[in-house]
Amino acid sequence: MSAVTTHSSHDDAHAHEVPYPTQLRANRLGLWLFLFSELFLFGALFTSRFVLWGNTRPALSQEIGLLATGILLLSSYFMYRSETAAAHGNQKTFLRSALLAALMGTVFFIMVVVMEWNVFGLSGELFGIELFGHLKPSDGVFGGVFYAMTGMHALHVLSGIALIMIIWWNGRRGFYTPERHWGVEATAIYWHYVDVVWVFFYPALYLMGQAVQ
Amino acid sequence: MNEKKAAAYRLGLITLVILAVLTIVEYFVAVSLESLVLLFIIAVVKAAVIVQNFMHIARLWREESH
Repeated sequence: MSAVTTHSSHDDAHAHEVPYPTQLRANRLGLWLFLFSELFLFGALFTSRFVLWGNTRPALSQEIGLLATGILLLSSYFMYRSETAAAHGNQKTFLRSALLAALMGTVFFIMVVVMEWNVFGLSGELFGIELFGHLKPSDGVFGGVFYAMTGMHALHVLSGIALIMIIWWNGRRGFYTPERHWGVEATAIYWHYVDVVWVFFYPALYLMGQAVQ
Repeated sequence: MNEKKAAAYRLGLITLVILAVLTIVEYFVAVSLESLVLLFIIAVVKAAVIVQNFMHIARLWREESH
């Protein structure tokens, strides 16, 4: 009898299984290639800002821009903390930090949509700071570029929040271990990528060029 | 193991502080110097810090598990 025929069906079932470290490397490479492809989308939006706005920009609330940026950075920190906790088997910190990251992401999203876009047409001030924006999508190149850039970014923030909630839910059910938590790592990398995009979008929209009323 | 864990948490905190400082610097550069080049350089440095420390890009070419 040959060696092949002596294999059990269980052995056959696992004969072509990729070892986890190899699978993990492939997953990482795949995710980074996806993020690289996203670079073309965000790069095009970033470039369009300089082509269409030149050395000018709309007069946006500096305070809202700075605060939103700070909140997104803080959210990224909590996501890092969450991933680190998952890697070290600290379930409580993992879940709590993931929730905080999602919460801060939601605050950022609300700041962009409710305050900067002003979808409800509100007005108001706090300590002399105007809380709601005036720019409309129909306001020429200023409106068009601003809404395209913040809109595409906000869409990624929203999908990032959904991913964080998925890993939080799975984490509660004990889905991840210090040895196997690719879902957490992938979500963290994606969330930090959203942060990286904003690192370039924030100065391009709020800081570079002369403000035009 | 505990040392490694503490170092990982510390790295996160240091990165956050670096990013916060650079964001404030960025804001004041925009207000006082209005230098596009400087603002772009600060953005690149911030992005590099995030990619290196938060996104662990080095894991791509290292035989490293989680």
